[in-house]
Amino acid sequence: MENKTVPEPVKESTGAKLGKSFGSMFKRLFIREKDHLSVLEEEALQTPTQTVFKNFVRTRLGVVGVIAFILIMLFSFVGSQLRPIDESYQEPALSNIRPGANYLKYPAQIVKEGVKEISSGISYSVALTNEGNVYAWGKQPIYLSGMSTSVFNFPAGFKQGQIAHIAAGDRFWVALSEDGEFYGLGYNNFKQAELPEEAKEKMQSSSVKQLLAGEGVTGILFEDGEIFIWGSTMSTRQDNVPKEYQGRIVHAEFTSLNVVVLLDDGTIGVFGVSGNELSLIPAELTDGSVEVVAFTTSGRAALALDSTGKLHVWGSRLHDILQIPDFEGKVVDLFGGKNNFGVLLDNGQVIYWGANHFNQLAFPKAMKSANYVSVYSDMFQSYAVAEDGNVTAWGHKGFVFGSDQFGRDNLTRLIHGGRISLTVGAIAMIISVIIALFIGLVSGYFGGWLDNLLMRITDVVISIPFMPLAITLSTIVTGRVPEMYRIYMIMVILGFLNWPGLARLIRAHLLLEREKDFVLAARALGVKQRNIMVRHILPNIFNLVIVNVTLGYAGALLMESALSFLGFGVSPPTPSWGNMLDSAQSSTVIQYYWWRWVIPGLAVIFAALSVNLIGDALRDAMDPKASEK
Amino acid sequence: MLRYLAKRLISMIPVVIAITIVVFGMVKAMPGDPAAMMINPALKEEQRIAAYNAMREKLSLDKPLPVQYVKWVAATVQGDLGWSAMNNRPVRDVILEPLKNTLILNVFVTVFQIAIILPIGVMMAVKRGSFMDRFWQVFSLVGYSMPSFFIGLSLIFLLALKLKWLPPGGMPISAYGKNFAYYVSWLKYLILPTLSLTIISIAGAIRYVRNAMIEALDQDYIRTARSKGLPEKVVIYSHAFRNALIPISTIIIMSVFAMLSGSAITEQVFAWKGIGHTLVLALNNRDYMLVIALNLLSTMLAITANIVADITYGIVDPRIKLE
Repeated sequence: MENKTVPEPVKESTGAKLGKSFGSMFKRLFIREKDHLSVLEEEALQTPTQTVFKNFVRTRLGVVGVIAFILIMLFSFVGSQLRPIDESYQEPALSNIRPGANYLKYPAQIVKEGVKEISSGISYSVALTNEGNVYAWGKQPIYLSGMSTSVFNFPAGFKQGQIAHIAAGDRFWVALSEDGEFYGLGYNNFKQAELPEEAKEKMQSSSVKQLLAGEGVTGILFEDGEIFIWGSTMSTRQDNVPKEYQGRIVHAEFTSLNVVVLLDDGTIGVFGVSGNELSLIPAELTDGSVEVVAFTTSGRAALALDSTGKLHVWGSRLHDILQIPDFEGKVVDLFGGKNNFGVLLDNGQVIYWGANHFNQLAFPKAMKSANYVSVYSDMFQSYAVAEDGNVTAWGHKGFVFGSDQFGRDNLTRLIHGGRISLTVGAIAMIISVIIALFIGLVSGYFGGWLDNLLMRITDVVISIPFMPLAITLSTIVTGRVPEMYRIYMIMVILGFLNWPGLARLIRAHLLLEREKDFVLAARALGVKQRNIMVRHILPNIFNLVIVNVTLGYAGALLMESALSFLGFGVSPPTPSWGNMLDSAQSSTVIQYYWWRWVIPGLAVIFAALSVNLIGDALRDAMDPKASEK
Repeated sequence: MLRYLAKRLISMIPVVIAITIVVFGMVKAMPGDPAAMMINPALKEEQRIAAYNAMREKLSLDKPLPVQYVKWVAATVQGDLGWSAMNNRPVRDVILEPLKNTLILNVFVTVFQIAIILPIGVMMAVKRGSFMDRFWQVFSLVGYSMPSFFIGLSLIFLLALKLKWLPPGGMPISAYGKNFAYYVSWLKYLILPTLSLTIISIAGAIRYVRNAMIEALDQDYIRTARSKGLPEKVVIYSHAFRNALIPISTIIIMSVFAMLSGSAITEQVFAWKGIGHTLVLALNNRDYMLVIALNLLSTMLAITANIVADITYGIVDPRIKLE
């Protein structure tokens, strides 16, 4: 190729000439110089890599595959940084909620008519306006029992304009009209949305002071200080009101397992499940030394305000809910979500603390300055009403991809599951490619008895059906390593079972290439055996390896998902696309909780499809003849 | 033909031996005492100790590993596959039912698969670039990018739960013996797993059939046949198809092979009590002897499929026999 560099005649000093000459000789001796081509030749020729690249770009599907795969990578790897996951966090109250993000989108009418009360369930909220109208918004919780109705389906004869009380429980809500008509919507599996006969009789003699609803339980507090509770009370005994409280109750609130009541002498009483943290009421709240004026409850704790303006908090310490932040100002109102507490100060500011799994603490910036008169916080949604009647909502917007059986966000698990699945597939593939390259090359290069032995080993591995062996190995191996190493074991198992196909292919092509003329030519020129192998034969196999690695990666993704689906892959609570589906082996889940299997399933398909598109396009690009077919 | 077959069978022997070594490794790797796992734990105390000692003797557990291996192979060949703790019966009696179910499922799928991919694959190659060709190519691409359980779940959702045409999974229970109604309901249960596996195997195989057929159609003898004025039907089916049969039979055998492995997942999705379903159950119940027996069984099935493949090659391509 030397004759292609035509030196231009330039007048130079002899010293410079000599220096250049020596320089170029030196370069040619020790540094491999790129061959210079003239402009015309450069146009005509391109490197094989350039050809492959150009051909690849020309196949539109391949480009689509690349873009889709980049999107999936961004979704999983960048997304998992932006949306951290707490693998151990569960919220059974939020289980199996269908996709939707409209929990906080309240209708404009409630601002127009003025909010009297807002109460929230797990995925919806109900508002009572000053005109006595009721509005409901959000997402319908799934109900499987025939006795239940939709929370948005107002019954015939619902007296809009005359409603006096509303209360939302977890998956149902109840309302009372001014003339004592009772309505219950939503879950009714424990008859919590129906008025029992005893309560009906009691309502004849005494008027209703407060309507309350909790997790499967409903209660009515009467003006005479008596309370009547019904619903899902078998295990909590929340309907078992102590005799000494009856007739003295001023205000009552449900928690998950208890009922907290304020008595007429300013002391606090708790009943329901006994012996938990909530029933250990601070002594000053029961002995009459302070006078409680208001209180609120969260799921497992309570917050009380006494007449001197001091706050008292007790119950479960989960989510740091017992640590009241510092603030300046006088408390005028208290409110509590499922895992949060909040106070409204006399300067119209809102202080809120506790868990932040669903952005409960992320209230809008504008709120810090606005003047609020009342705040309603229930479950995971909060609504603050300002002086001018405007409503500000914050908290749980909803699960875009629904929630699973433990109330975990499917989107977060999909993002982190993608990170795990894509990584497991990639490392498994790398392991199998290394083994395949080693065995294929050694076998094809050395031949003889070594070839024979390696190929018999390959035969053995290839003869054993993959799935049965993989799940058996997974059980044997993962039983012997600590939990945290299991995921690596899955990579190793997938890698160790997947190499034979590629190894055979590499060997076969090696043997094929070895017989070609250019190898003969190289040998005739006296090129060393090893160099023939590395410089002449290997580059010709490289294309094949690349294509098969790409297609094999799609296969590894599918295998990981299948293993995890069967319960022998990545073990929960670490998410992977496969194990998100492993609960989908019951027809209830398949039929009613479709988002729990359709969404991760589609994610696997999307990823495998994009990788397969890339692989197919690469193969066509590297072998132009193939695309003509 | 016989000589060819004998040669192939002999060449399988080292593979079979190696597989038994792998499975024996599994036996040793399983937690627990192999001799204790081989006997009925429900026996009376003294009988159990006697049986245990006899089994230890039989397997020579105190001897070096090679001796143990030989003894284990001998016991296995005699049908001493151990005791299934889960079923409280000898493993030998437990594995026959799943074997039957898996075979039936796979035979049905293979028949359907061949009946579908041959005409469609040939059609795709002949009408290259037509709408139907494109359609089946997309079907194939999406199909083999899909986890097999997802196809199964979708079929259950659509055909069993929404339309309520078929049972979502499981197997029929014969309360009144095996009468006609029993077999009809049995077929109903068979439809969904068969459909699911057929879709998967078609998606995997059809484009290879197409490519093999295209390769055959591009040969010189096809031009010769056409220039002789032979009708197109004869050219395609008599000249091209016969020559495409060699790669096609490879493809079909490969996909039968993949089916044996993939049916584990489909059996689990549809609760079809085949080898795969039983294996998952045995693993979850720590019934290790059953696990080992099922692994051995599925491997033997795969090897049988391999031998059948060799016979098929011999029939399809007479040149192979001569080599």
